[in-house]
Amino acid sequence: MSPAPAPKLLTAYAAVVRKEFRQTLRDRRIMFMLIAAPLIQTVLFGFAVDFDVDRVPTALADLDRSAASREQARRLLADGTLRHVLDVRSAAEADRALDEGRAAAAVVIPPGFSEDLAAGRTARVQALIDGTDPVRAGAAASAISRFFAAASGDVGRDRLAALGRAPPAVEVAPRVLHNPRLKTAVYVVPGILAMLLVVVTAIVTAMGLSREREMGTLEQVLVTPIRPFVLLAGKMTPFVLVGFFDVVLALAAMTWLFDVPLRGPLPALALGSVLYLCSTLGVGLLVSTFSSTQQQSFLGAFLFVIPAVLLSGIMTPIQAMPGWLRAVTWANPLRFFAEIARGVLLRGAGFGDLWVQLAVLLLYGSLILGLATARFRTQLG
Amino acid sequence: MRSRPARFAIRISAMAAKEVLHIVRDPRTLVLAFVMPVLMLLLFGYGVSFDLDHLPLAVADADRTPESRALVDAFTRGGEFDLRARVSPGEAEDLFRRGKAFAALVVRPGYGRDLARGGRAQAALLVDGSDAASASQLLQKADAIARAESLRRAAAAGAAGAPPIEVRNWTRYNPEGRSAVFMVPGLTVYLMALGAVLLTALTVAGEWERGSMEQLFASPVGRTDIILGKLLPYLGLGLVQLLLVVAVGATAFDVPVRGSLLLLFGVGLAFLAGMLGQGLFISVVTKNQLVATQAGTLSSLLPSLLLSGMLFPIENMPPVLQALSRIIPARYFVHALRGILLKGSGPAELWPDFVALLVFAVAILAVATARFQRRIA
Repeated sequence: MSPAPAPKLLTAYAAVVRKEFRQTLRDRRIMFMLIAAPLIQTVLFGFAVDFDVDRVPTALADLDRSAASREQARRLLADGTLRHVLDVRSAAEADRALDEGRAAAAVVIPPGFSEDLAAGRTARVQALIDGTDPVRAGAAASAISRFFAAASGDVGRDRLAALGRAPPAVEVAPRVLHNPRLKTAVYVVPGILAMLLVVVTAIVTAMGLSREREMGTLEQVLVTPIRPFVLLAGKMTPFVLVGFFDVVLALAAMTWLFDVPLRGPLPALALGSVLYLCSTLGVGLLVSTFSSTQQQSFLGAFLFVIPAVLLSGIMTPIQAMPGWLRAVTWANPLRFFAEIARGVLLRGAGFGDLWVQLAVLLLYGSLILGLATARFRTQLG
Repeated sequence: MRSRPARFAIRISAMAAKEVLHIVRDPRTLVLAFVMPVLMLLLFGYGVSFDLDHLPLAVADADRTPESRALVDAFTRGGEFDLRARVSPGEAEDLFRRGKAFAALVVRPGYGRDLARGGRAQAALLVDGSDAASASQLLQKADAIARAESLRRAAAAGAAGAPPIEVRNWTRYNPEGRSAVFMVPGLTVYLMALGAVLLTALTVAGEWERGSMEQLFASPVGRTDIILGKLLPYLGLGLVQLLLVVAVGATAFDVPVRGSLLLLFGVGLAFLAGMLGQGLFISVVTKNQLVATQAGTLSSLLPSLLLSGMLFPIENMPPVLQALSRIIPARYFVHALRGILLKGSGPAELWPDFVALLVFAVAILAVATARFQRRIA
């Protein structure tokens, strides 16, 4: 008996897509996590992630208790970076406040501050800073130094003016483009899009395929005349669509909740999303070929997701990495999608500015998917 | 005839042995559980930091005087900025859009003349604000450079002697501002949450999925035995992870261990118990590994990362999230770990954290066990 004739590719593909869609839609909980979970994450990230350091809890030890010290302290604590949480009576007490975590910075104005100032001697101020969090420590230290340098400059200029002389001064006036109020959410949220797409697609694909393998349903489908790559393409299609839907949903949330602008051409972002989804789905598929259980698939996908997120420039700047690590980020699809999302949304970049990133994603997508399909085939064939 | 406690112990150890066998028979899980912490630690320790230097800078010097050249030199000399391109003022924005420069220093004609006259001279700095974190760091650096240049000019003009006010900053606990020191406690918490919640949720949900849970119920092993037997191996795994991360952190990155190790493990145990309880609860409710994964990620990994203060200071969050962070166990564990490792805090400072972790652990384990009993009754 001759084998049944292979169905037309397109018919087989449509059949698999239909089956996958039914299977996915039937399980409400999976639909929930595919659609609601990314939305919840976008919102949570947007509100929680804030690199602008302000409101650093600060203890004040004004041991001078003069009009001058009170005035300086008032102005220092009014600028917003520091928040006055408690008054202490000695440097040792300030130290303890830091130890106990009641304050993250302390400003000590020693006795004799106003006397020194009036006598034309250098008046000294001491700042204690909790260095546990380097970013916060840096911001607090910089705010304190900047404030006293400015105050010092004012006093110096007044003294010179009294002598009838004007000192030269250099001023650099900054003008911030693209995100003038330096809101973190505007920058982070487009990156988060890249992150949650990889979490949803890579992990769900890897675990979904492992589950079929665990239950033996994969073998059942393989004895049908459907070719393996048609089967895979059919399995991936619903996830590409769901991922795309997530992008639209997240974009709506971004513009509505976090005032993320949409400056560039959306087709560039759409093309970037599809190419990027090919890479992440490919990773999921690849991981599943290395795992025998869902637990392993999950851990394996996570093993990819974590370094990929860390080395993408989403959370920390790529510029701040050492050279060798910066080279590694070139192999990371997340980096390129994050660049596309930020470029299009924040800077108004179009195809002309982003063709390199798009080409790289196309290359990675085809490489990863090709490799994964090949492994999948040899394993089952 | 053995005594009751002895029989109880035997049943639990049988369950635990079964679970250990599951884990050991396929060592890939174990490898992943141990490779992941080390990999993350290495990445954070060696590479990932918020500290920027060599920021790409474009310069548009339309003044072309010795003064303007001195300002450009002041920007690029210290290594904070790298001179990438000399452009006309109009070209700067184009460079930003292509991502070729972070900032552009624009010196208009007249800068040198103003300075020579002994007045205020102004230069403009265009900053690409799309990366807010880098931009604010950049602004801090530019500000410091301008201040130093100002002082130098004033000193050269013979204007200033000793500065009228001087501030001395003294940074404690992590004076060099190393990211690894900051990250290790946070990472430990994240990894332990990952291992405890998700691995437990997956293994228990897997038993439901495969139908082997019913077989266990048919055996003489009781429900409490099943729970304890399932959880104990993962408790051990979590403690080993804790030890591993602290050891690697201390040896490779000089993360200090200033407080007591015993206290560290005590607090770690309380945290782990809560996370295991959460994993159990999720698996009992979902009974499906895929759903359990997402539920675990949403309810434990994401809050541990975002709301624990591991990466972002809690004081900076909106009040609703600050309130929410109070019911996240990771928040207390991060605080306790930083205290023990970096500050050398003892029980006097840390008992509120310990109590909070304990309350969470007892509550979630009780709810999960009750739910587990009811599911099968």
